[in-house]
Amino acid sequence: MKKTLIGFAAVAAAAALVLSGCSDPTAGGGDSAPADWPAQDTKLDGVSLTIWAAQNSNTVPESVVAGFEELTGASIDVVTIPDPYEQGIQTKVATGDKPDLAFWQPTASQLTALNATTNLQPLDDAPWLDATAADLRDITGILDDTRYAALITTPAVEGVYYNKKVLADAGVTDLPTDWDSFVQLGRDLKAAGVTPFYEMAGDRWATQWWVQVQLADAAADGLWDRVNANEEKFTDPTILGTIETYKGLIDEGLFNEDIKTATFEDQGDALLAGDAAMVVQVNSFFNQLQSKASAEELDETIGFFPISPSGNVGTFIPDQSNALVAFKTGDAAKEAAARQLLSYWLGDGYADFVETRETVSLQDDVATPDTVPSALLAVSDSLGSSVGSMQALAIANPDLYIFLADMIQGTKTPEEVAQATQDQFAQLAKAQGAEGF
Amino acid sequence: MKGGTNPVSTTTTRAIVAPGAAPSLASPISARPRGRRQDHPLWFLLPALAVLVVFFFVPTLFNFIYAFTDWSSFKSGISFVGFDNFVALFANGTLLNSLRVTLVYAVLVAIFQNVFGLALALLLEKDTPLNRAARVAFFVPVIMSALAVGYIFQALLKPEGALNDILGFITGTDISIAWLGDTTWTIVVVALVHAWKWMGLSMLIYLAGLKTINPDVLEASRLDGAGWWQTLVYIRIPLLAPAITFNVATALLGSMNGFDIVQATTEGGPGGTTELLNIFIFRTFGQGLFAQATTMSLVLFLMVMILAFPVIRFLRKREDVL
Repeated sequence: MKKTLIGFAAVAAAAALVLSGCSDPTAGGGDSAPADWPAQDTKLDGVSLTIWAAQNSNTVPESVVAGFEELTGASIDVVTIPDPYEQGIQTKVATGDKPDLAFWQPTASQLTALNATTNLQPLDDAPWLDATAADLRDITGILDDTRYAALITTPAVEGVYYNKKVLADAGVTDLPTDWDSFVQLGRDLKAAGVTPFYEMAGDRWATQWWVQVQLADAAADGLWDRVNANEEKFTDPTILGTIETYKGLIDEGLFNEDIKTATFEDQGDALLAGDAAMVVQVNSFFNQLQSKASAEELDETIGFFPISPSGNVGTFIPDQSNALVAFKTGDAAKEAAARQLLSYWLGDGYADFVETRETVSLQDDVATPDTVPSALLAVSDSLGSSVGSMQALAIANPDLYIFLADMIQGTKTPEEVAQATQDQFAQLAKAQGAEGF
Repeated sequence: MKGGTNPVSTTTTRAIVAPGAAPSLASPISARPRGRRQDHPLWFLLPALAVLVVFFFVPTLFNFIYAFTDWSSFKSGISFVGFDNFVALFANGTLLNSLRVTLVYAVLVAIFQNVFGLALALLLEKDTPLNRAARVAFFVPVIMSALAVGYIFQALLKPEGALNDILGFITGTDISIAWLGDTTWTIVVVALVHAWKWMGLSMLIYLAGLKTINPDVLEASRLDGAGWWQTLVYIRIPLLAPAITFNVATALLGSMNGFDIVQATTEGGPGGTTELLNIFIFRTFGQGLFAQATTMSLVLFLMVMILAFPVIRFLRKREDVL
């Protein structure tokens, strides 16, 4: 009997211990004083900073890191977090492990997912903002009127990559100017014996672009605000209609025959080889092409145009390689050093960065190198007039692409896709404490 | 439990003591005085107990507690929400679908792994040098990284992968079967991959089981005129019962916790038909919904428990013939 009592007391004590420990280890970051921005060349001898990067962004900071280390004496460690990157970071941050800086998708939904108000340094009044092109300055990186992310390269745009030779051979001289002419072009190409569109449902993630570009007009009209407030749902006609259209085009046979198993890699090969005429994709697709063909070849064969229901409006979707966030680590000296690195990156170091990365410049005073392929210039040209994607404007980022891939495999109907997406969106919104859920 | 007998103590005695010898050995053990723990003070247990509590007891308890909270990556506070997570999960069909897929997968793996394991054990039973080498070869996949196995098979089973090339070479036609792209049969394919990886372990345990069968019994059956097949079905397989218990239980319950091989080959696709509960949990955790993911792992834990007791009980019952 006595032993039972002791055992019971032990269990109770352990339970009490566990319950008292039941709090988020990331709590208590607290508010920091308004950030000051140290001069770019402030000496930082003995200070070491950690940057978390993904497998596809870990070489991005190379020139900046080298320049900053030489200028300030700081030492910078770029740590590669394995894919899936976002999940890895969220898990680490949830258990209290934080870097000084990290590559991060600068959208509201992803900033929320990182609990930006607690974990990230606000970057308001950053010194580089005046130099940034006016139409790109506030395009993303902001949550509840506070800036948390520094955009370093142009955000990706969802649009149509096409094979110039295939269209020329089919006698197409004018590119589509709206959705209807785009679909008509597809039908004409099919009639001419060409596979008009290529989709990669084997790898799943690109399936959502077809739905999102169709929502560009609605997005400009405040669709995502209504979805965020639970006033409109994925199951309502606007979004469900785009899913049904997508399904209709697939059923019509306008896509590649191996749509169910085709991968990202297959998609790039098919467009380059001219096995298919068009692909709805984002910038990372072009990066994939760049690894497969020379710059001249790409300029010759691959073109880009944005598409939306009513015209040529792109849908922008910033990704993890486009921006960095600075963490509140509790170490004031390191936090200041992290801000200093960002001001150097987008300050004195930017010209060199743009040059070595052969990427489009975000700043009017820094010229874009002429080595940038023409398709990427077309992408960045479309950015100024583009509207935000679901990822950019919605408060949560449900697994729409998985459900769409399920639809292509035949295990979900368009209605079930919309319902599953809505359910998950509501679940995420509720977890965030969003009003209306 | 029922009828006042304690199944645990009787079965463990039987497992330790060889059949037939039990009565003569049992008495000295029970005759030993009970003051035995005097020579080892209880606090000697503390270091081991501390490790057990910190790494097993507390995490399991946390698993129970967090399932009833709204822990997420979106905010710092954690508060209790009662059964909200359970209600939401069961209202959503995805969880039930994942549970169903998990169960089908586990049963398939248990069947394949044991059939292959037993067949290999019978094939490699004799201690010849060739057989010894073959046993090692079949055991190699067991110690390989499951993710590596998954990625290798993913490459082999692609429409343009090596398996189709081989089949095409044999048949002389161009074959491009999407082994991992069929919404009905892909779960069988991934279960086969899982069974392939672990069959070496089952083989080893069946081999050990076969070695413990008394040669006199086999000789007696041979003298009675039993053929190889009859000996196998009526003598050897019944006598393998403890090995079967272990192999079926570990294969079934282990594959309920499967993740790595399926993640590497199909990521739960095509069309969610191979989405094991652990993959669903991983996806939910990745969305920042930590509490919901914890709730699911609690559901998985309960499901394994519910399945484990009757299965193990049934399999132990079969050992009564010994």
